[in-house]
Amino acid sequence: MASLLNVPSPVLRQQPSLAITSFFPSLHNIRVESQRWQEHEHIPLTSLHHSHATKPNSGRRGKSVHARASLWDSIRAGLLKSSPATLADPKPSDEDEEEELQSEEVILLEKVQTDGTVERIVFDSGADVDVSDLELLCDKVGWPRRPPAKVKAALRNSYMVASLHLHRQLPLSEKNNDGGNKRELIGLARATSDHAFNATIWDVLIDPMYQGQGLGKALVEQMVRALLRRDIGNITLFADAQVVDFYKGLGFEADPEGIKGMFWYPRF
Amino acid sequence: MRISSKRRASSVSEAFGVTESGLFSLSNDELLSRGFELHSSYEGIDLDQLNSLFLKVGFPRRKKEKLTRALQHTLSLFWLRDVKSDQMIAFARATGDNVFNAIIWDVVVDPSYQGAGLGKAVMERLMADLVKRGISNIALYAESNVVGFYRPLGFVSDPDGIRAMAYSRKRR
Repeated sequence: MASLLNVPSPVLRQQPSLAITSFFPSLHNIRVESQRWQEHEHIPLTSLHHSHATKPNSGRRGKSVHARASLWDSIRAGLLKSSPATLADPKPSDEDEEEELQSEEVILLEKVQTDGTVERIVFDSGADVDVSDLELLCDKVGWPRRPPAKVKAALRNSYMVASLHLHRQLPLSEKNNDGGNKRELIGLARATSDHAFNATIWDVLIDPMYQGQGLGKALVEQMVRALLRRDIGNITLFADAQVVDFYKGLGFEADPEGIKGMFWYPRF
Repeated sequence: MRISSKRRASSVSEAFGVTESGLFSLSNDELLSRGFELHSSYEGIDLDQLNSLFLKVGFPRRKKEKLTRALQHTLSLFWLRDVKSDQMIAFARATGDNVFNAIIWDVVVDPSYQGAGLGKAVMERLMADLVKRGISNIALYAESNVVGFYRPLGFVSDPDGIRAMAYSRKRR
């Protein structure tokens, strides 16, 4: 499968990692990149955008049949019996629900192939994630599968499920009337939260084929921004020893003010 | 949901998996006999009392609107009311996805009532509730001076080298 970052192209001479890291820390850098691409491939500047708009066909809906993609703990614990996914407390207000439904897309990378195929890597804090897509992704990173029903419930009960998708828009042709859009899940991160003060990020995953290019950083950074926009002041996570530096680079502090993470009878 | 003080432990004990005996260290009856009424829902919570309890232990006072929203989106919570003074004197809550992970927040006991096992009382009940739902990955963030309080409850700090991290705006 020809992927966005592996196929050599007359446009993208630089290392793929440069293309991604140049988008950070500020979105302004995207303009620089797009200008360069524009010379060769006539990509309009406006194609790289940061949209807060509620999209008609994306974003979570309270009663959507689309389950959120599956979920993996960094700590591999968990009983396998099913549990009701109901909250004891009254349902959130309408205002909250509206807030939750908004999808926020950020196009991290865009490339037009010589045949006219447009490839984009898109971050979205509110996209529906296909459960089977996520199962495949977890297989790729070597994480254990979990019962789909539990995974669906966990995603539904998450405050934010952020995803990276590779979108491939085929050029219009005789064979291909609708210029078919395909998308592939290549990254995921989710957060649980009380919707007011605290959020905890879990299960940050990037498809191994797309690792090493700053996509993990992009995913987490965009997610943090999305959480900050919602006024969540305390964004936390638990980091395996080998990724502590990764998160430090994104603005996270270990043991802040001497606070220690503790787990109840952890099992690995 | 109000826990009846007259309920007896069933064949699956009330604190199964949480305590060694499977029973709470202080039963509901014992709590009541000491003048403490147990609550497990946010109904009846006086936000001013909750804020004042937070202040007593050095937590910041929270905006009521945000506090309401936080409590509405809390998986499980337990609190104790001192009947005589009609004050909330202990509180603990947990958030999570209700399937895999839960985090415990805001565990507070009025300093005047500390040392009597009340923190343990709300913690054990909170954990039993989470375990009953099938959640076994229960985590929390403990200030260094209370790590010792959580350890007897079965909490381990930095297991396998895992570190708690928080986003700091200053660093950006």
